[in-house]
Amino acid sequence: MMRRIVMRRIGMRDVAMTSPAALTRSRAWRGPVLMAGVIALAALVPVLIDKQDTLNLLFLICLHITLGQSWNILAGFAGQTSLGHAAFFGIGALVTRTLWLNGMFFPVAFLLSGLAAVAFAMLIGVPTFRLRGAYFAIGTLGIAEVLRITVSQNLPLISTMPAAEIAAYNLTLRYYVALALALTTIGAAALLLRSSWSLGILAVREDEEAAQATGVNVLGHKLLALFISSFFAGLAGGLFAFQQISYYPSAAFSPVWTFDALLITFIGGLGTIGGPVLGAIFFILVRQRLAVTLVEVHQIVFGILFILIVLVFPGGLMGAWDRLRPRAIAEALRSRRQLHKS
Amino acid sequence: MLHIEKVAAAYGDVQALWDVSLDVQVNEIVVLIGPNGAGKTTLMRTIAGLHRPRSGRILFEGTALHTVAAHQIVERGIILVPEGRRLFEGMTVLENLQLGAYTRRAKQQRDKTLRHVLDIFPLLAERRHDRASSLSGGQQQMLAIGRALMGLPRLLMLDEPSLGLAPLIVRHIFEIVKSIKEEGVTVLLVEQNARRALELAHRAYILEQGRIVGTGSGSDLLHNDEVREAYLGYAPVTARTLT
Amino acid sequence: MAQNIVYGLFVGGIYGIAAVGLALAFGVMNVLNIAHGELLMFGGYISFWLFSLLGIDPFVSLIICIPALFLIGLLLDRLVYRHVARLRGEAKIKNSLLISFGLVLILQNVAIRLFTADERTTQVSYIGQGINLFGIALPYTRLMGLVIALVTILALHLFLQRTDSGKAIRATAEDWEAAELSGINVPRVYMLTFALGAALAGIAGTLVSVTSSVAPSIGLDWTLKALIVVVLAGTGSIIGAFPAGLLLGLVEALSSIFISASYREVVGLVIFLLVLLIRPQGLFGSREAA
Repeated sequence: MMRRIVMRRIGMRDVAMTSPAALTRSRAWRGPVLMAGVIALAALVPVLIDKQDTLNLLFLICLHITLGQSWNILAGFAGQTSLGHAAFFGIGALVTRTLWLNGMFFPVAFLLSGLAAVAFAMLIGVPTFRLRGAYFAIGTLGIAEVLRITVSQNLPLISTMPAAEIAAYNLTLRYYVALALALTTIGAAALLLRSSWSLGILAVREDEEAAQATGVNVLGHKLLALFISSFFAGLAGGLFAFQQISYYPSAAFSPVWTFDALLITFIGGLGTIGGPVLGAIFFILVRQRLAVTLVEVHQIVFGILFILIVLVFPGGLMGAWDRLRPRAIAEALRSRRQLHKS
Repeated sequence: MLHIEKVAAAYGDVQALWDVSLDVQVNEIVVLIGPNGAGKTTLMRTIAGLHRPRSGRILFEGTALHTVAAHQIVERGIILVPEGRRLFEGMTVLENLQLGAYTRRAKQQRDKTLRHVLDIFPLLAERRHDRASSLSGGQQQMLAIGRALMGLPRLLMLDEPSLGLAPLIVRHIFEIVKSIKEEGVTVLLVEQNARRALELAHRAYILEQGRIVGTGSGSDLLHNDEVREAYLGYAPVTARTLT
Repeated sequence: MAQNIVYGLFVGGIYGIAAVGLALAFGVMNVLNIAHGELLMFGGYISFWLFSLLGIDPFVSLIICIPALFLIGLLLDRLVYRHVARLRGEAKIKNSLLISFGLVLILQNVAIRLFTADERTTQVSYIGQGINLFGIALPYTRLMGLVIALVTILALHLFLQRTDSGKAIRATAEDWEAAELSGINVPRVYMLTFALGAALAGIAGTLVSVTSSVAPSIGLDWTLKALIVVVLAGTGSIIGAFPAGLLLGLVEALSSIFISASYREVVGLVIFLLVLLIRPQGLFGSREAA
């Protein structure tokens, strides 16, 4: 009980912190079994359903889970709200596309997308982490825009797969790559939270000065989160490059990728493992559903939802689950009232 | 005039005030003394409306203050000179004074009040076009008091006006506080400089660790052994254990 | 060369107006409004439609556009930004940024629904006409734009320096608690400030619709421009954002001569990043308000 209240007061991102403890409870077996079931089902989809639409939808969900989760590692766990996520995604796409279409074995080209993004993260990490909070956000946004403009100036032409590749286009293969990537990213995020670094990373998020004062290597932990985050963002970009038949290279650097990652993570629940997963499913399904009938309305809906989440339901969908129980509502109200008084 | 009833206040999880009750009558000087961190500033901020009490009531002439926004409390005539002066340092002395009379009530008489305040503080008149940040510490404190007077206070609250000032200036400021009272303004004063404050006070309260632990007339407390030991420097060893 | 510089100043004037609006909300309220460019875009559309439907000259339609954006600003403050007012410091800036990101999505897509995604330019009859001074072309639309920018800044400066409301804004920017203790209604000052910032975005949008074009997607670019300028000027500086805007216009003009026209945008961003990293207090950095 006490623990709950304390966790509530820490705020919106407590769910990630409770999960290791939750596993030790008696219902712990449910999680893994459920997860295994979902994974098996997801793996069997191409066998069970022979509809390209559905497969494409599932591909997009996996891509966006990776995108959201990778952003979540940096912003949700380490508290560094980056608005430059598109830079990593774009670099990954550019590297994989270029190498792959020039004949490199795809798995190698794919892996290099992640590594290239990490290399870029190494370049910008130390200087940008001198910036705090909102300044970090606008600084990273600036960097991503510099890249986007530079790429669109130098690579103005659309990139299209060779005819032979299009003829042999295999969506099922791409879906499996996406599924594997999404699962790896989720696994990496979960491992990170169970690792010895998690305490330091979460401490940096909660209070940087206090973390520094207690001897946490603040910069080191931020960089670690950034490298992991950029690695998977780069791979997501690589996956995008593998899937798209033709696109403008600068499209992969569009700030929309950052914004989608932000929406997905906030809608699902910032700083939680399940958040970006739920968020991506919700995001893609709603987008797909509304895009048919009401073209721009889904973005307006997401915008309103997003503002409401930031202002009123900081837990997102994951938090809403907790709040639905009466006791949790009472506690949340209490802690809100106290927050307002302070 | 001011009636505080069982007020509790907290910053997040840290409670700063417990069941504080206190009264101020019209046209008296009431002093609040206590060690650092006792909650004196929190109490002043709570009365001024910058901080909401967790429980309890604050009444001013019978109407509730604890539900009212800070600027409306100013409108009712309760004005706080905050700890650390909090001047608008980038603005001129004159602008600071003008801003002090921002409420509708005070604005009507702004020019008249300004003349009066500049009479009390002739130094400020000389430097009226200088930036507040260019003033010395003593002058800044006078400007802070002057700014509060511009709002036509009926209850003036001063939070540690002598902090960091030279003894001569402190004496001057206490004289001014006394003359303000003689003009009919009620004063609630928080002071570290307990001796001087108690000499001035009609009544005083002692706040320790968020609770009122004693009260009495100024002269009673001045001669009370425990108070002498704890606050007037007769037994420095005990005093240290209290803080 | 001279022509380029003059054009740089013309564009810089618009940057300045856009940035001062953003700087107002940021400097006074600690609200970082990423949707500022979207407000500008709406301003541009208002003057475009008033011209195409009713034939009102865009410089005249400012008398409708300014109050309209002022009202939108009031509304946004009431509906949205008031709810972050309780937060302090870093948390407030960050949350305001996040919220305004949601507003970006809403406003941009409302604009697409209402106006389609097409680019629009207010094609006044005297477009292309102008004065020729020592071989430098000075189009009327651009000249008028600069004049309006200068008048706006002068008016804002006088408002902040001379009027009681202006002084209350400056006082609130310096120390909102001390402002409350002086009897200033800080939530109302915030509302006024945000609305003024929105009105400035409206003016900038009108100038953009006349001198270049508006489309629902232009918001982010203009927000970035304004951000660059605000960081150049130093985040405490409000009026100082105007000369910084002129400077950015000039730098962009020069870089398109000496580097390449296609890297104009990049140069501004690179300067922005350098200033952010090396001199966070800005080029003209002083901590005083206005």
